[in-house]
Amino acid sequence: MEKYPLIKIKDGEKFFYRFTHNQRIQHIILAVSVVVLVLTGMPLKFHDAAWAPYLYALFGGIHYAPVIHKVFGAILVALFAYHVVYLTYVIHKFSILPLKKKEGLTTMKVLKAIATQPLVPNLKDAKDIGQLMKYLFYVTNVRPRGDNFTWKEKFDYWAPFWGMLIIGGTGLIMWNKELATMIMPGELLNFSIIAHSDEALLAALFLFIWHWYNVHFSISVFPMGTVFITGYMSEELMSEEHYDHYVKIMTEAGLEHEILPPHGGQEDESTEEGGASS
Amino acid sequence: MKALPRASRLIALFCFSVFLLISFTFTPSYAADVGNCLLCHKYPGISRVDEEGKLRLFYVNESIFSNSVHAKVKCEGCHTDIKKIPHDVAKKVDCLVECHIIEPSSEKKFSHKDVKEFLGKSVHGPIDKEGKEKKYIEDYPTCKDCHDNPLYRPLSFFKKVRPGISEASLGRCRVCHKKEEFIYRFYNHVTTRLHKSRNPLNIAEVCARCHDNPEIVARHEMSTKAVFSYGETFHGKAARFLDERVPDCLDCHISKGESVHQMLPKEDPASSIHADNKGKICTNIDCHPSASPKLAKYSVHAEFNLKQSPAQYFFTVFFIILTGGTLLPLMFIILLDIIRRFFPNATIGRRK
Repeated sequence: MEKYPLIKIKDGEKFFYRFTHNQRIQHIILAVSVVVLVLTGMPLKFHDAAWAPYLYALFGGIHYAPVIHKVFGAILVALFAYHVVYLTYVIHKFSILPLKKKEGLTTMKVLKAIATQPLVPNLKDAKDIGQLMKYLFYVTNVRPRGDNFTWKEKFDYWAPFWGMLIIGGTGLIMWNKELATMIMPGELLNFSIIAHSDEALLAALFLFIWHWYNVHFSISVFPMGTVFITGYMSEELMSEEHYDHYVKIMTEAGLEHEILPPHGGQEDESTEEGGASS
Repeated sequence: MKALPRASRLIALFCFSVFLLISFTFTPSYAADVGNCLLCHKYPGISRVDEEGKLRLFYVNESIFSNSVHAKVKCEGCHTDIKKIPHDVAKKVDCLVECHIIEPSSEKKFSHKDVKEFLGKSVHGPIDKEGKEKKYIEDYPTCKDCHDNPLYRPLSFFKKVRPGISEASLGRCRVCHKKEEFIYRFYNHVTTRLHKSRNPLNIAEVCARCHDNPEIVARHEMSTKAVFSYGETFHGKAARFLDERVPDCLDCHISKGESVHQMLPKEDPASSIHADNKGKICTNIDCHPSASPKLAKYSVHAEFNLKQSPAQYFFTVFFIILTGGTLLPLMFIILLDIIRRFFPNATIGRRK
């Protein structure tokens, strides 16, 4: 933890630690393989489109693109398997073991420890969505005060998680169709194709519209959020999206007096409306 | 059509005369045709408007024709009604005539007549088992509905198998065979026939002329627009990207070792796609030899419509709803968020 302090001060600005080295590498492998898989998969889904043969040709056409698709598919499946192991390890080490040492284990306690993991959706998320709706429809001028992980991030996490189960599973079935149909009927392949390509389209649109809006195109992060590379998030973004967590960390670090007001000074609204911003 | 002005007509006539003059003067003659038909038919403009008002082109491109499988057949071999030059309106070619070629294994005059017999017994034959004409007899294919004059498509086999002519192999032919023209033709003939003369996409396109025609599909109560549904499978998509390794219509619908003209309906126990034989299609040595016969239960011609394949239809609809249900609300939030950022502190409620 010495190497990565929770709050790092650089040139007088505070940055908040969010993702470990390991997590950032996992994310980059995920991102690269998903982009390659989309580029080598979509020309097959939309084989009649004018752009399809050109995009496919970039990856070596029908002779090589399927090989590339399988290689990156295998990387993604391996990453998913690794992630599940990693997740189990982290939960065990940081939640279950301390619990065991402190008060002993019961099934209920373990389940509770799992249910209170930071990425598990909870009531606070529902409240935040409600608050966001109020804010987006101008009912209030108070943004939801997100916790460590907001509902958007949980969505970004669980959607690919579910997607990888579906797409990875059906992909493996189609890759090993001879083996798969030893056990299961041939019609399974029809359903696999539908699930694989339709879920992939959903995943691609979800990532390139929703995820990229939140981390690339939104005015607060444009042209690109850097937390996925550096692991640190700026104070401005932190207070905008994760205000509750921000206050908590600042308080724990003994910096209560430096806590910014919620989302970038709504108090001096009169100057904001004049167009001046600082 | 509006008549051209007089001056334009004169200019056009002049250009055409110059073109003719140049053509006659400088075009070298390759004429291998005994009847000298190319004397006229070598001109790209040779055409006429027939009785139905259709423009018909009669140009024969000699270099293309001499690379086709019929290059050795004299024009009169197929156009049997033409006896003199200039000739009258020629009849349509009948592919079943005996042409002048001697078939070397039987030393009889060559003809495609046997094909008619094969076709007659197949699902594409116009006469049913009781000897009666089938319904909509005009829909049943004849030779030229599927065939044109195919070009040679030789394979080179020396160190590798690839398209084209292997000069290294030809060198070995020359040891015994002296006539260059014979060597090329024999090589082309044999190696062209060792594989398909058309790629899977071309084959599918031929079948699609009838099997994707909604009227014909409805008239003959076929269960699918066959090439459309094939196009939705990986095989069909790969064919679209010009993969030659994937199966086309003929690979599954013809039993190994038979002519494509012997295609049988799926109810016929001898048909390759009969329920009892279907398993063997996929597990054949060139395709998925390690698969179980269950692989053939894959529905190749599923169309994602409620009537033909309801389970798949509902499965697809589920994903459409899932996609719409996920993305539309999120996109709506993005839109609201973009607008909201112009007025970050505006509210109709109590300002906090």
